[in-house]
Amino acid sequence: MTELFDQYSGMVYSVALRVLKDPGQAEDVMQEIFFQVWRNPDAFVAGRGSLGAWLAVMARNRAIDALRRRRPTDPVEDVVLASSSDLGSEIERNRMMERVREVLRNLPMEQQTSVELAFFEGLTHSEIAAKTGDPLGTVKTRIRSALITLRKAITA
Amino acid sequence: MQDEHIPQEDLVLYAMQAMQAHELAAVRLHLEQCADCRRVLAEVNGDLAFVAMSVEQKPLPEGARQRFVERLAADPSGASKAGPTHVVSIKTKRPTRSAAVWIGWLAAAASLLFAISLEQRVRVLDDQLAQQRRAAEQQATANARAQQVLAVLTAPSAKRVLLTAAKSKPEPTGRAVYLAESGGLVFQANDLRQLAENKTYELWVIPADGTAPIPAGLFRPDAAGSASVLLPPLPKGVPAKAFGVTIEKAEGSATPTAPIIMVGAVPAAGE
Repeated sequence: MTELFDQYSGMVYSVALRVLKDPGQAEDVMQEIFFQVWRNPDAFVAGRGSLGAWLAVMARNRAIDALRRRRPTDPVEDVVLASSSDLGSEIERNRMMERVREVLRNLPMEQQTSVELAFFEGLTHSEIAAKTGDPLGTVKTRIRSALITLRKAITA
Repeated sequence: MQDEHIPQEDLVLYAMQAMQAHELAAVRLHLEQCADCRRVLAEVNGDLAFVAMSVEQKPLPEGARQRFVERLAADPSGASKAGPTHVVSIKTKRPTRSAAVWIGWLAAAASLLFAISLEQRVRVLDDQLAQQRRAAEQQATANARAQQVLAVLTAPSAKRVLLTAAKSKPEPTGRAVYLAESGGLVFQANDLRQLAENKTYELWVIPADGTAPIPAGLFRPDAAGSASVLLPPLPKGVPAKAFGVTIEKAEGSATPTAPIIMVGAVPAAGE
């Protein structure tokens, strides 16, 4: 278990910190995720795509829950990832992450803003629309377009 | 909704938890019944994982690892799960001093230093090899399991059964009988959790035409956890897609507040 912690805790903590912007709360989220994996490794780990990718999504979702001060909205068994998120070696993973960062940096500004507000700040599409003054449909389209661009880059 | 697939835009919002509470229930209901949409959702989650993993890595707070290890050690239920301690065997043959002691101390010391250096190098390589082998095995296992899970989830012949935890404390259940023509609704719930004084349960009718949920009454459980709502004031002629229950402040709410603690879909005609 400590090997798992050593391998992924930095990533899980970094994702939670990015959302919560508070080291204490981010560590709480990280500790809780790994503790749950420890308590129930079969239900939490097996068969949900890449372990690292799954932990990253869990870190983000639990951090958003903490940000909104609510109990977890989705049971972990509901979070299933497609196998496209599997990455073999650490070198391959680092290369892919650099490509993802570049894609996100190069998105049109309004798409970047929409993804940032929805994914890292936990705003609903209605809240994003109210904040940016854009129609709901436009917000949805921007987020989806950003992910389409990202997927093309990943699978290229 | 149950006949039409959920637009990918909405699945993206669902995966990001960026939907309004009243929209969530309809998407959840559809996902329970639609393997195609579950597959698309898994792909979206995969994309979002890349976004999450692209976050710049930050160092852990000081002592975080120790705090985690102490927490594991203090957990009685996990005491038997401790992973094996990684032990690396060093197979290199230690240099033996030659019987020819006349070779000289300098040469012997050089050989010893070289042997120690070699041993350390072997230890590092052995560690790296074992680490990479474990990572590859974990990856292969995870991939195979993911494929198996997807195969089961997407199989047309798969049977879908809802199970609830066999706890000593039963889970809350509710039954709604609804007559759309007259707007008549009878609702009965059991095994409800007790609420704080400033909170109440609120029942919602989720219209089939996708419009906003209609509040259908406030209720609090009795000492046995039971409660009922009888013929609340509802508009006539509104077909329902589902019913839901949320926890609201004591005076109730005009829109449901997440999470939806109970939800039930109206069976399609013929079911």
